[in-house]
Amino acid sequence: MQFIQTIIKILSKYGNFYAEGVRNTLIISLMAVVFGTLLGALMALARMSKIKPLRWLATAYIEFFRGTPLMVQLTFIFYGLPMVGISFPEVSFIPDFSRFMAGVVAMSLNSCAYVAEVIRSGIQAVDPGQMEAARCLGLSGGQGMTMVVLPQAIRNILPALGNEFITVIKESSVVSVIGIADLMYRTNGVKAKTYNVLECLATAAIIYFILTFTFSKLVAWAERRMAHGRKS
Amino acid sequence: MAANPDSNISEIIRVEHLTKKFENLLVLDDISTSFRTHEVVSVIGPSGGGKSTFLRCLNLMETPTSGAIYVDGVDICKKGVDINRHREKMGMVFQQFNLFNNMNVMKNLTAAPVKLKKMTAEEAETKGITLLRRVGLEDKRNSYPYELSGGQKQRIAIVRALMMNPEVMLFDEPTSALDPEMIGEVLDVMRELAEEGMTMIVVTHEMRFAREVSSRTLFLSDGHIEEDKPSHELFDHPESPRLISFLQKVL
Repeated sequence: MQFIQTIIKILSKYGNFYAEGVRNTLIISLMAVVFGTLLGALMALARMSKIKPLRWLATAYIEFFRGTPLMVQLTFIFYGLPMVGISFPEVSFIPDFSRFMAGVVAMSLNSCAYVAEVIRSGIQAVDPGQMEAARCLGLSGGQGMTMVVLPQAIRNILPALGNEFITVIKESSVVSVIGIADLMYRTNGVKAKTYNVLECLATAAIIYFILTFTFSKLVAWAERRMAHGRKS
Repeated sequence: MAANPDSNISEIIRVEHLTKKFENLLVLDDISTSFRTHEVVSVIGPSGGGKSTFLRCLNLMETPTSGAIYVDGVDICKKGVDINRHREKMGMVFQQFNLFNNMNVMKNLTAAPVKLKKMTAEEAETKGITLLRRVGLEDKRNSYPYELSGGQKQRIAIVRALMMNPEVMLFDEPTSALDPEMIGEVLDVMRELAEEGMTMIVVTHEMRFAREVSSRTLFLSDGHIEEDKPSHELFDHPESPRLISFLQKVL
C-alpha cells in the first residue's frame, strides 16, 4: 500500500516531468521509425539489387548495425564523431538540437538495418511465380513489383513493422545516456531527487508498458483488419 | 544478322543452336527447330530432360547460354531487344497457375492489358467477360484465386494469357498440378484453342493430348531433340531406343 501511495505522490508532484519524458520518447521513436522505414526500404532494395557492389554494401551495413549495440552506435555518433569534426549544429530555437539529432540519427540508422530485413523477407516471401507471371504478360520488373508483389508483401511487412516500432520505443531509453530528456532520463532525475528508487523505476516501467501494450494492440487490430481485407 | 533472312512468313519462332547451362550442368545442348503459325506442338520427354527449360527460353524467362531465338524474324537473344514487347505476343501458362493472389479474377485478366495500353478498361472488361463465358467461368469474375479450384484457376490463367491477344501460347505442364478429375476441363479448353488455330507449344505428360491434339511432337531427352515428327508417326513408329523405352513406361 505504502508503495502505491508513494507512486501516486511521485506522479502528482513530478507528473509534468514524466509527461515531458514520454513526449520526447515518443518523438524520438516516431522519427526513428519514419526515417528508419524510409532508409530501410531503400536499403532493402539495395540488398536485393542486381548490382553486386551495392548488394555487398547494403549487406555489410545491415550486418554491422545489427551486430553492434545501439549504445555503442549512439555514443560513437554523439561523442566520437565530433572528435573528427563531425557534429550536428545547434539551432537557436530548438534547445539541445544537436543532442537530439544525434539520438534520432543513431536510432534511425539502427532501425533502418532491422526494417531493411523486414522488408526484404516480406518481399521474398511472395511466391516467385507471381513475378514470373507478370513478366510473361509483358509487364516490366518495376510494374510487376508495384502491381503484384508489393501489395502481397505489405501484408507480411506491416505487422513486423509494427513490432519494430514497439522495439524502438523500448530501445529509445538508451538515448538517456547522452542526456536527452526522454522518459528514462526524467525517471533518473526524479529518482535522484526523491531517493524513492524502486517506486520511480516501477513508474517508468509501467509507463513504458502502457505505451508498448497500446501499440501492440493497435498492430494486432491492423493485422486482423488486413486478414479480413484478404477475404473481402 | 538483324532479321531472319529466311522470309518464310508462316514461321513464327525459329530456334538455332540453343544451348543452356546451369553452372556446369548442360540442360539444353545445341537445339535447333522452328514453329509455324497455327501449329500445335507437344514437347514430351523424361523429367529433367530440359523440356521446361526449353519452353522458358522461348520467351527468355531463362536466358540461353548461347544460340539464337527468332520471334517474327527478330533474334530476341540480342542485346537491345525489348523483351517485354515480345512477351506480350507470347502467352504463358504455368504448372502452378500463378494467378495474382492480390487481385480478383477480372482484375487478373485486365491488369496487364490495361497497364500496357493494349486496350481501355472497358474494352478489357468486355473481352474478359467474353473469354470467361467461353471457359464457363463468367460467374467467378469477382472471386479471388484462393476461392477457386485448381482446374478453375488454370482455365482463368489461360484466359489471362489470351487477354493479350498472343500470337503463340506456351504451356508449361499445365495439368501436372491438377487433381485427376480436373485435368479434363483444362485439356478441353486447350483443345478448343487448338481447333481455333492458335499456335501452341505444350510441354506435357498427357500423351493422349500430344497424340490427338498436337500435329507435331518433339521428344526431348538429355537436352537433345531425339525425335521430331508428326504426332501419330512419333507415337506409332518411334525410332530411337530412348523414345521407345520412354513410351513403354508412360503408355
